[in-house]
Amino acid sequence: MSAAWRVVVAEAFKQHRRIFGTKLVVFSMLVWPVLTLATAYYTILPVTAAPGAAARWPLVADPQRLAAFLAAGALAYTFFFSLVQSAWHFSFERVSGTLEAIFLTPASRLALVIANGSGALVQNAWLFGAFAVAAATATGTLHVAHPGMYLVALAALLVPAIAWGAFLNSLLMFSRDSAFLYTLLDDPLWFVAGVRLPLFALPLWVKAIGLAFPLTTSLAILRGALLDARDASDLGGELALLAALSVVLLALTAVTLRIGERHAQKTGSLQLF
Amino acid sequence: MSAGIVTHGLTKVFPPPSRLFRKRPPAPAPAVDGLSLAIPPGAVTGLLGLNGAGKTTTIKMLATLLRPTTGTATVDGLDVVRDAREVRRRINLIAGGERMVYARMTGRENLWYFGQLYDVPRAVLKRRIDELLDLVGLREAAGTLVERYSRGMRQRLSIARGLINAPAYLLLDEPTLGLDAPIARDLRGVVADLAESGVGVLLTSHYLAEVEQLCRHVHVIDRGSLVAAGSPAQLTAGTRLPYSVELTLTAPAPDATKAVEELAARAGAEVRHDTDPEGRPRVTLRHPDDLAGELTTTVVRAGGAIARVEVAPPTLEDAILAMAAR
Repeated sequence: MSAAWRVVVAEAFKQHRRIFGTKLVVFSMLVWPVLTLATAYYTILPVTAAPGAAARWPLVADPQRLAAFLAAGALAYTFFFSLVQSAWHFSFERVSGTLEAIFLTPASRLALVIANGSGALVQNAWLFGAFAVAAATATGTLHVAHPGMYLVALAALLVPAIAWGAFLNSLLMFSRDSAFLYTLLDDPLWFVAGVRLPLFALPLWVKAIGLAFPLTTSLAILRGALLDARDASDLGGELALLAALSVVLLALTAVTLRIGERHAQKTGSLQLF
Repeated sequence: MSAGIVTHGLTKVFPPPSRLFRKRPPAPAPAVDGLSLAIPPGAVTGLLGLNGAGKTTTIKMLATLLRPTTGTATVDGLDVVRDAREVRRRINLIAGGERMVYARMTGRENLWYFGQLYDVPRAVLKRRIDELLDLVGLREAAGTLVERYSRGMRQRLSIARGLINAPAYLLLDEPTLGLDAPIARDLRGVVADLAESGVGVLLTSHYLAEVEQLCRHVHVIDRGSLVAAGSPAQLTAGTRLPYSVELTLTAPAPDATKAVEELAARAGAEVRHDTDPEGRPRVTLRHPDDLAGELTTTVVRAGGAIARVEVAPPTLEDAILAMAAR
């Protein structure tokens, strides 16, 4: 087993014991996204009855498809926001003194932050993911070009989410004042990524900002692959953009970690909290 | 490749914190200033100084957690900045104060987690965890969450964590802080055994008796600079602090008392006369040399009968306090 894989296993286990290991947390993993979905659905429902709404957004004429659209948004959001939470939790290691203990080890820093993100993702999103897929299958709202598109959709969620989580960890680990990102990335992430509303309904400047977040493109691929029966060639542009974003995020993570560790070694900030 | 930890002109200046819209204040005084040390394998070396002397900063530079501003530090010839990853495989740090372990994991899980990060081979790791749990007396509590541990138990687990990679060099920063006396004594035994087995140990401690007991060589630093180095005995002798010789007579003996006064005047010793709790005459001589032999000879020749003689040599603690007062 390679050293990096052992780090991944250890981090996932640690997160399970520290954050996800209690019954209440497992319960909240399902309840939180379902409540979020219900809130979004019943917020949008009155708007769908507005005159001319169906002409601009045909989906609103079909409550079941609208629910599927929002569920896809909630699922993707759960993936990405769970990583914001995980990075936030990781930043507490500075307080407990364990961050220094981790940085005493020769473990690869990049492997550590990727492991932290992927560990959180698997533990945080599996329950709602399973629920969403089961519900969509039961209600017949899935329209998939071919079975391989399930894998494409899963990869389009997992890979950029892990890159996103690693990047956030690299930011939150090295500055004790970066917890504001937690707030900054909650509601705005909903908005700019088109979680509740279709992207065409958003102003151009919001769309431009949204493109910088991998969640936006992940969501477009998820909805295209699972709800609109688009195949990989239809989604080629989005997939290429998402791959590029993921590579850029991982490269930025590596650079941030390097600069951040050097800064911490210079200022002694790993022990400050 | 030179064995051991060696530093040359090691200096650390922490940059002042930058404040928005405010001029950056001038750089503060160095936390460590031109420190040159040698920590050989197979021995316990002490690093002493009062609070703020730069001990923890030095240890963290050796542990790669801090980067020296100037100067070099090497571990078996490997530079702590350039070869940091390889250095981390060879060293570990144990700090007092029960931090550095996860409260929501059991003792065994904590050790497994850190063993994974150090990439300790799986079969070795399992055996080593058991050995370390035995060593620190936590075998029975291995499956208990650390949040249920007492302070001393957490500190013992921190010690086991610091040994999980079987380090060639161990940096101990106040390791017995907060430990009960029997546990602290056991830990001193562990440290001595580790050094015996070839591990190089650098120890800082406020318990100077501990340093005196364990360390073959001690570096004393003050405001980041080395002010003295040597064995505990050499450091104590170097400060010329007085031995205290206390002699109790069985009964008053005026001739003996007079002879002691003459001896004290001749040697330049400080002399004090009083009585012990049983009312017997007692004389105390304080002098940088041990005058016990001369004192007893003088008293016996003058016809005095001796009930008890007690010699208190100066301690390392006395020496450090004297150095700090200069």
